[in-house]
Amino acid sequence: MTGLEVQTAESMQALGERIGHRCRPGDLIVLAGDLGSGKTTLVQGLGRALGVTEQITSPTFVIARVHVTDIGLPQLVHVDAYRLGSVLEFDDLGLDADFAESVMVVEWGEGKAEQLSSDYLTVQIVRADDGSDETRRVDIRAVGDRWTARDLELIVGP
Amino acid sequence: MISEPLVLGIETSCDETGVGIVRGATLLADEVASSIDEHARFGGVVPEIASRAHLEAMVPTIERACAVANVKLSDIDAIAVTGGPGLVGALLVGTASAKALALALGIPVFAVNHLAGHIVVDELEHGPLPDSVIGLLVSGGHSSLVQLTGSDFQSLGATLDDAAGEAFDKVARLLGLPFPGGPWIDEVARSGDERAIAFPRGLTAAHDGAANRLNFSFSGLKTAVARWVKQQEQAGIGVSVPDVAASFQEAVVDVLTQKALAACQDTGIEHLVIGGGVAANSRLRALALERAARIGVSVRIPRPGLCTDNGAMIAALGSRLLVRGAIASDLSFATTSVLPIETVVLNVLN
Repeated sequence: MTGLEVQTAESMQALGERIGHRCRPGDLIVLAGDLGSGKTTLVQGLGRALGVTEQITSPTFVIARVHVTDIGLPQLVHVDAYRLGSVLEFDDLGLDADFAESVMVVEWGEGKAEQLSSDYLTVQIVRADDGSDETRRVDIRAVGDRWTARDLELIVGP
Repeated sequence: MISEPLVLGIETSCDETGVGIVRGATLLADEVASSIDEHARFGGVVPEIASRAHLEAMVPTIERACAVANVKLSDIDAIAVTGGPGLVGALLVGTASAKALALALGIPVFAVNHLAGHIVVDELEHGPLPDSVIGLLVSGGHSSLVQLTGSDFQSLGATLDDAAGEAFDKVARLLGLPFPGGPWIDEVARSGDERAIAFPRGLTAAHDGAANRLNFSFSGLKTAVARWVKQQEQAGIGVSVPDVAASFQEAVVDVLTQKALAACQDTGIEHLVIGGGVAANSRLRALALERAARIGVSVRIPRPGLCTDNGAMIAALGSRLLVRGAIASDLSFATTSVLPIETVVLNVLN
């Protein structure tokens, strides 16, 4: 487990970008955090690293969206699991996508998405207790062997 | 070309199974079966539940629409169906039904853009649209500004994060109000003070740049509401739900109306049509009319029943396309969750 403090939306996107640069096909990232904590903002940066050119907007209404990425890079599957009642089954999303060839990021995924893979990254975003402070505490935890200590070091960044 | 074609429209992009029948621009039937009650306990739409509900509702809804319109399927001149954007599984039920009907009846099918339907539906209520109009589309899944000129739609701006209706749903969730949040916030806000809390207006500052002049952002507003509620609770001050609802709603409709009228001014178009579920919001309707009147822009908003998803809007769009000589979709067309407004008909045969 490692962590960092993030002060602005731009830094949250930069963190997402650092995660995106280390992503490979079949990767699963489980995002946790309250409403307005910056989950979609992080995914915008992650998508940028994969070469997504369209605007990455909230998937809440459609549950999941597939984003086309640069040639040679895995496509991005962006999911909001808030309204899914039980554990997430990839096939239930009815997407034109293959899990093994995608990077899948699941917002509100804790307790629902973990069984999709034995290896995943959890990113927990917590807003400062004081409502007037914009700072977010981000904790990153790797489960399984896929993400190395070096990966996490590079993600936490300079 | 038939001037007053009888068109049956099918809409299944989300949680409403809608079947509408029009003759030309005259509404004959608008039947909707909703699975919203089944979704309410999840606080939103669940794709798998929506698809199954569409499947069960499709045939009875078509039969009801025909009975109300007093027509037989064999009288229909063309089928129109939502081809996208929407939930893929849900769309598939509608498009498969439309293809089957078109094939069985030997008539053309138009797989059309859901968003264009939300604008064109106003013809059923207020008569033909002017040649050029600005459309403001606001719903749970979409917030965008479009320009319709003749038969061509063009996107002028869209949300960069959350849709307006989604912001209503999420703030309702924060305030402990039921799903869908829009009608509840509208109702609760009536007894609140919209000036009580100065919530931010996304992408309206000078530093947001000309590129974002017609784009929307509601994510920061949602965060601001969450922070404000938390601050009050930490300070041990009770939260006035009506004041928060009214102030939040005011921030949304302030930005929507400002930007819609900015689009009118930028393009020199003096007609604004507002469509989509959020167009049913009473404060949006009032503020849009008030502000537009000041700068000489006419505003058309369909009645609430035609603002939310329905089959009549798809039938209306199909009829308009047929009358204007548009080419029908090939039966091999595929549904799509993402569809730019510029594509009004899917998979046109050349």
